[in-house]
Amino acid sequence: MILKTLSLQNFMPYKGQTSLNFPTEKDRNVMLVYGDNMRGKTSLLNGIRWAFYGNALGRHSRPIPLLDLINKEAASEGDWSMEACITFEADGHNYELRRRAKRRPLVTTPSRSEDFEVLRALSKDGIPLGDHLIDAEINRYAPEQISRFFLFDGELLQEYESLLIDGSEQGKKIKDAIEQVLGVPTLIRGRDDAQTILKAAQKLQSVDLQRLGGFEIQAQKQKTLQAQIEALEEDVARLNGNLKRTKEERLVLEDFLEKTESVYQAKERLNAAQKLEQANSERQTALSIERLGLIKDAWRELIRPSITLKRNEIYAQHDALTGQLLDRNKIETKISQLREALKTDTCQTCGQALHQEQKDVASNELSALENELKNLSFDMTAMQRLSSQIQSLDKLLKPSEAARIEFIDRDLARLRIEQTKHDNEIESLTDLIKGQDTAEISRKRNLRDGLLKEETRIEEDIKKSQYAIDKDRNDLAIIGKALENNPQARAARSSKVVNISSALERVYTRSIDRLREDLKTKVESLASEAFKKLTTQVKYSGLRINSNYGLTILDEHNQEVTIRSAGAEQIVALSLIDGLAHAGRSPGPVVMDTPFGRLDPKHRANILTYLPSTAQQLVLFVHEGEVNKTTDMRQISQKIGCVYEIKEVNPRHSKIDRVTQ
Amino acid sequence: MTTTEPTSVGLSEKAHTLLSSMKEDGYISELTDGYKLAIGLALANGMTPGEVPAPKRTILAVSGLDPEQEIATAIRSLVDLGEGSVYRYAERLAEWGVMEMAARFKSGFLDVAALIKNPKR
Repeated sequence: MILKTLSLQNFMPYKGQTSLNFPTEKDRNVMLVYGDNMRGKTSLLNGIRWAFYGNALGRHSRPIPLLDLINKEAASEGDWSMEACITFEADGHNYELRRRAKRRPLVTTPSRSEDFEVLRALSKDGIPLGDHLIDAEINRYAPEQISRFFLFDGELLQEYESLLIDGSEQGKKIKDAIEQVLGVPTLIRGRDDAQTILKAAQKLQSVDLQRLGGFEIQAQKQKTLQAQIEALEEDVARLNGNLKRTKEERLVLEDFLEKTESVYQAKERLNAAQKLEQANSERQTALSIERLGLIKDAWRELIRPSITLKRNEIYAQHDALTGQLLDRNKIETKISQLREALKTDTCQTCGQALHQEQKDVASNELSALENELKNLSFDMTAMQRLSSQIQSLDKLLKPSEAARIEFIDRDLARLRIEQTKHDNEIESLTDLIKGQDTAEISRKRNLRDGLLKEETRIEEDIKKSQYAIDKDRNDLAIIGKALENNPQARAARSSKVVNISSALERVYTRSIDRLREDLKTKVESLASEAFKKLTTQVKYSGLRINSNYGLTILDEHNQEVTIRSAGAEQIVALSLIDGLAHAGRSPGPVVMDTPFGRLDPKHRANILTYLPSTAQQLVLFVHEGEVNKTTDMRQISQKIGCVYEIKEVNPRHSKIDRVTQ
Repeated sequence: MTTTEPTSVGLSEKAHTLLSSMKEDGYISELTDGYKLAIGLALANGMTPGEVPAPKRTILAVSGLDPEQEIATAIRSLVDLGEGSVYRYAERLAEWGVMEMAARFKSGFLDVAALIKNPKR
């Protein structure tokens, strides 16, 4: 299949008519469309997808509602029609596929996708085909199930990394999609049909065995097991339905939460800032109260130096008076001793009798001392006054904690600065979430968490039911085996049908396993070939596929390389896609949106050299950061058929200009 | 001769207004605290203040301001009052101190820690 033209009218940012011509020359089969982010590269990819299959995909491969596909500016001007038309050539025939959406009659302003009617038309060599033939014709050349391998965006490449994670939900989805491409579901459906026939036959067999007599117990057991299996299968179907609904509901919430994540984060930060602000405020209040308490005693600190000086002065006076008192006491003691010596004529020190000469000396000394004592005055009142003053001043000088005021002031200053920061943050965050229903976001978040738990619970229930089904089936098989050995039971017609359908089911089951193994080998080989062309590490020998279709790089000794860079992941994913595209269909165009995000120039060069040689057409929607207009283009200049550039007219309107003829 | 001490003390209208503002602004919890702080500041500066300008407003009871006569002791220790009343002198000190505190208000903040560190201007 070769794409020829794409025409869009009012499709996403492409207001009015927009047309592209794909390169049709075999040797110049590369088309480059440059566009900055948010200009409409993915919209072009969606234009092709919508033309073929009537759906457009947004983030996480989720469908974009029809209402959101119509150009907003055209709609605001009253033009509610949209069209995508693609022409292509396949097996020597020329096709024109046109899909158009327009406002239903009686609807003035559409507000939901149902307000539109969608019409489609496919002509083959100019002859219109009936609507019932369109899907079959499209699926001949571009089956929708495998479209993700030839119409893909950069986001998809990242999804492929999850194939290496056992049990990941995304990995399971991609594995299903891969098996869809490879045709495995056809056999799975065959096995399911064989199981249905087997079930019906086993029912008949039970009835027959009851009629034959002697097999009542086995027949009853069979019947019970069949009823149990049916009930369990109904349970599983119901649970799968619930699981699907729960997942869908959760994904809608995830979308909403993703969009409002910044608001939620802002609200969380606001709550944290408010808590900090409150704690700060409480601390300030506590410190202020403590400070006020300390100020009560601050006057003591102010006069402490003066009072200390005064106290020292009084102490000195007090000391002087004490000295006087001591001197007086000494004289009084001496007088008392002299008087006693003169009275007893005995020395008070050695106890010997005093001679007259000694008595005279003592008498003279006594007179002199008595005179000295008379002249020594002592002010006892002053002494008491000074003692009292010292006591009062000591009371004034008792230690106070007013000096702590300085530390408190420092703390308060720091807290006020912090408070200003908190206040500013609170103000800006409040502005940020103004008008947003943060309570609703929290509610939906809780709801999402609840749904996640619900999903786990349902999955557990499904596992349990599946286990019970397997056990019952096993028990049924044991009964069947026992009956096979009994000639009478074996002779019953229904038993023969059971045997045949059971054998058929086994054949299908084994075929599924074998097909999976064969396909994996094929994909592994094709992907390895592509990988060797794409990687810049010459020592890598290829890729090894796992049960999920995840690929691991092998080194020169065929050992798995456990750590790989983001760029290597992308190369591996591209290799897998290339392998799948070749294993699942005949060669055709490959349209890639922003595929080179994490790749270095050498890898880009390898891809730009390799892909044009394996795909019939290579259409790349890129921004200048991905593919350099001079250096990268040089690699494939011979291969480039045409180059377009997306230009912004305004945020709701883009246009495409052809750069090369 | 024994000096008769007043039972209440006051400030000039202006000083009273300033001290009341300090209380309203939360720098002091009671007028008494500010009054004592003002006396302490004046004593620390070794001031010999003039009379309190009229009209004077009585604002505090001496028994509430100085229940244990600590202020009186401090003033008497640092100032030779002669026969003068200690609480009348206290009033004059407080008047000066309040005006000084108002003058030292730095960007509206009564920096008590700075007053303690450097009471003298």
